[in-house]
Amino acid sequence: MPASDISLPGMLFCFILLLIPILVSYYFKLQLIGSTLQSAFRMTIQLALVGFFLTFVFDLNNVILNITWVMVMVIVASHTVLKNAELKLQSLIAPLIISFTITNVGMLLYFNTLIIDLEDVFDARYFIPIGGMVLGNSLRANIVGINDFCDQIQRNENRYLSRLSLGAEKHEALMPYVKKSLRNALKPTLANMATIGIVFLPGMMTGQILGGSSPLVAIEYQIAIMVAIYVTTVMNVVLAILILMYRGFDEYGMFRKSMLKI
Amino acid sequence: MEIIRMERVSVTVKDETGDKLIFSDLHISVDRGEKVLIRGRSGIGKTTVFRLILGFTRPSSGGIYFEGRRADPDLFWEVRKRTAHISQDSDIGEGPVMALFGEVFSYSANRGKFSRDDLGALLLGFSLQEDVLTKKFENLSGGEKQRIAIIISLMTKKDIFLLDEITSDLDAALKEKVVDFFLARPEWTVLVISHDPEWEREGVRIIDFAEVVSKTKVGKHAGQ
Repeated sequence: MPASDISLPGMLFCFILLLIPILVSYYFKLQLIGSTLQSAFRMTIQLALVGFFLTFVFDLNNVILNITWVMVMVIVASHTVLKNAELKLQSLIAPLIISFTITNVGMLLYFNTLIIDLEDVFDARYFIPIGGMVLGNSLRANIVGINDFCDQIQRNENRYLSRLSLGAEKHEALMPYVKKSLRNALKPTLANMATIGIVFLPGMMTGQILGGSSPLVAIEYQIAIMVAIYVTTVMNVVLAILILMYRGFDEYGMFRKSMLKI
Repeated sequence: MEIIRMERVSVTVKDETGDKLIFSDLHISVDRGEKVLIRGRSGIGKTTVFRLILGFTRPSSGGIYFEGRRADPDLFWEVRKRTAHISQDSDIGEGPVMALFGEVFSYSANRGKFSRDDLGALLLGFSLQEDVLTKKFENLSGGEKQRIAIIISLMTKKDIFLLDEITSDLDAALKEKVVDFFLARPEWTVLVISHDPEWEREGVRIIDFAEVVSKTKVGKHAGQ
């Protein structure tokens, strides 16, 4: 039993709800009316396009097209990470895309082959949404990790230099920052994993239940995807910080401040 | 034998207003085993000399030589392993002092250099109690921090010492003790930035910084 279609009047009732944030913004002079309308509009257009596009992709279910679409997601994700971390793109984008590709596609193949045992591992119905979930959920952790690392280096530059003059190699001197950034980046994902099901019902599980799956099947998928997200996040953050360690410092071991946007 | 030489070294730094000259045409040459005191008023760029030696600051022009070799990145990494840099604001870390020793001696360059006996003797020599090891570094007084930094640099067996105002927070008796200690070893090359007269001893070459550079950001007047 698939989820019932939302009718046009139903969608209208949905948009009417936006009057509440608009009134709140008006009353408190938040100056968010424009952004609210713009964001809602962008979301609608983007999702409509994706809806049509995915219908097309699912009907076609072509391996090359599916892989290409996941690659587009990887490139956009890498770009988003660097943009939000306020780093210049040119020096880091290529290694970041490569590392995201390896971790995410690797995880997708493992997931589809060994965990859910698909006959066609590139099946669009699994490959694309699961890829999107894994990638999307590791984004924030990457941004936190990279920001935290750059921030620590700049704030504690003296301590870093002291370690170098105490005989540390670059990687030895940076290790305390690496540890701290990794912990800070992974904490939200861990907290999320620990509260799932009680504090909130995750989107994928809700979607499956609405789509007619039994809650038991839905939780199996949810558990599997949470583990996949956590593991991919760990790998992505570690690789992103490693890339920063090697690309972000000159041959003297000094942090390349020119990499920062400001 | 000459160990460090700077030839016509100029340093500019970038800030909001553009490139700012710190000093230009610095000439300094130091022989192995020499003890050198660099004097000059605050802000004249003395600390920058130490940063240049460690490769933390790059000259905008001029050359830096170690034992006759022109410095390149690889050479700076070598120099850092031979050089102890102790400064007033040495920020070597936080947490229990013993853990700091643990970290420093886990670096591949320092592995196998730790000796508990040496540590005990040095603590005693610099008038520190054994229990300082269990205290948190950030809670120590300025003088205690400086002495811990000195002890770490001694235990890592360096032979070049860059000492930036390391006696400022010590009492008179300890100042004498630290000065004696660093001047006593003929094989050590010691460069000192200090306002303390305790360093002005026989055998210590005194360099007036204003006289070895041709221009500084604060004008051409000679230092006091």
